[in-house]
Amino acid sequence: MLKKGKSAALFEIGGGFEHWAERRLRYLMLAPAVVILLALTIFPSLYMFYAAVHRISPNPELPWQFVGTANFARLFSDGQFHVALRNTAVFTIIAVSLEFALGLGLALLLDKYIRRLTFLKTVLMIPMMLPPIAVAITWKLIYEPQFGVLNEIMYRLGLPTQAWAGDVDLAMLSIIVADVWQWTPFIFLLMLAGLASLPVEPYEAAELDGASSWRQFWDLTIPFLKPVIAIALLLRVMDALRLFDLVFILTGGGPADRTKVLSLYIYQVAYRFADPGYAAAISLFVLFVTLILSTWFMKRMRLVE
Amino acid sequence: MATTLRTRSRSRETLLRLSAYATILLALVLTLFPVYWIAANSFKFDIDIFAVPPEWVPRNPTLKHYDQAFIERPFLRYALNSFLVAIGTTAIAVTFGTMAGYALARFSYPWQWRKHVSFWILSTRMMPPIVSIIPLYLAFNYFDMLNTKSALIIAYTAFNLPFATWMMKSYFQDLPVELEEAAIVDGDTRWGAFLHVALPLARPGLAATAIFCLIISWNEFLLSLVITLTEQSQTLPIGIAGRVTQYTTYWGEISAAGFMACIPIVIFAFIVQKHLVRGLSLGAVKG
Repeated sequence: MLKKGKSAALFEIGGGFEHWAERRLRYLMLAPAVVILLALTIFPSLYMFYAAVHRISPNPELPWQFVGTANFARLFSDGQFHVALRNTAVFTIIAVSLEFALGLGLALLLDKYIRRLTFLKTVLMIPMMLPPIAVAITWKLIYEPQFGVLNEIMYRLGLPTQAWAGDVDLAMLSIIVADVWQWTPFIFLLMLAGLASLPVEPYEAAELDGASSWRQFWDLTIPFLKPVIAIALLLRVMDALRLFDLVFILTGGGPADRTKVLSLYIYQVAYRFADPGYAAAISLFVLFVTLILSTWFMKRMRLVE
Repeated sequence: MATTLRTRSRSRETLLRLSAYATILLALVLTLFPVYWIAANSFKFDIDIFAVPPEWVPRNPTLKHYDQAFIERPFLRYALNSFLVAIGTTAIAVTFGTMAGYALARFSYPWQWRKHVSFWILSTRMMPPIVSIIPLYLAFNYFDMLNTKSALIIAYTAFNLPFATWMMKSYFQDLPVELEEAAIVDGDTRWGAFLHVALPLARPGLAATAIFCLIISWNEFLLSLVITLTEQSQTLPIGIAGRVTQYTTYWGEISAAGFMACIPIVIFAFIVQKHLVRGLSLGAVKG
């Protein structure tokens, strides 16, 4: 805090003697980024409000027709939208919980043994860096009902083979497994970094007091890890809410809409059903939910200062 | 009594160590098998891809699918598009993100602007891309920019710029401010102190940020799917998805192209391994 104050004071002193640009430097350096981001986020949001109160024909020659809140009213009666909402919620809750449990568990187990094995850690990180499309086709190949590896394993184990991504009951699970494969390393890596920064003294004190390792975990490790857990969960939840690529390739939203998530539904409404006005209304709903969720998260976890 | 206790705890330690190594091994196999599998299939003839039971190691390796994808079909073009778009958006995001990040790390503003602007920039990063595709599509359509790489560069900047700003802010906050103060005392301007002192010191962070922007852009799918329809503008992920049709999936081709799409990413991942944690948490967690 002191450091920043000092540099600001110096800046003020120098400022009086320099020309205009130098005096305005703090605004000039920030301005381009702010202007670009305003143009790329605020403008689209406002434009979306405008689009959402119109019926927009796929034919660009036809004028937009003002329909008031009709598109928003449709949100309440559109069964497909409710299905997409539920699928997104189910996916987000199950996938992120699994990733969190697995990632934290692995980090706790391996913390002592893997800390210095940078190369090994990097190898384990590979899945989350890969293009989601490559991940999707890889799992498509593994799930393939006729010649896929998974059914071969089922067969060898004497279990019934399945259609996996093509099966009504297993499709969502198939998507979740692919996502867990890709993103568990993310939680694992962040938790490992968090564990590495834990102070030693409280644990020594707890040891002297005869606290069990279970107690130490709940009373020391979890509270210390809280900021890291917060950022990890925030980023994962925001990512899970925007899931698109995996579903687009693995199931296309089927079978029987079991994997139709919000992003895919908006895409379909806008392009396949050629109804950008209604798609804008759904988008605004999604924007609203993510903004509330992420703002609440960031404020609560004091991620900003 | 004491000895038995020690032996017991030592054998418990050995057991724990063994189970940890076994877990690491299992995690490695589960992590690497899918990547291996796509690579293996890209080198098989179609008939061997469909073999039951699966051919674990290609018996009859071939480069046929690479030839098909990159020579006969325009995957080289797609890869080039991906590359150009990634370079363009990274240049913009890193340039302006570095300046903004520095400003937010060093300067003070009236009315807590620093906090509010930081927060707002972070929240733009949280915006799902699906939310902006409709206005972006309509705007690019209006300006006759659909199917251009410039449109993709602009669209990708929407998520790369907040990322670069936050990353660079976190790197600059780690630098001691005294060096810049010394430069100013020696007669450098405030801008000069940034350019000649802070920027060179932040070079590793700058490189890591740029690589992350390249990776995120190279991997992006949804925006490119909506904005581009022509071979001249489509990126690699769209090219791959285009070979998964309702009727057939060109397994060999997409395996070859998919595997090639992964290679630069894996190389980059190793280059930035020290910065992975920070990059993946937008600068919030220092690895």
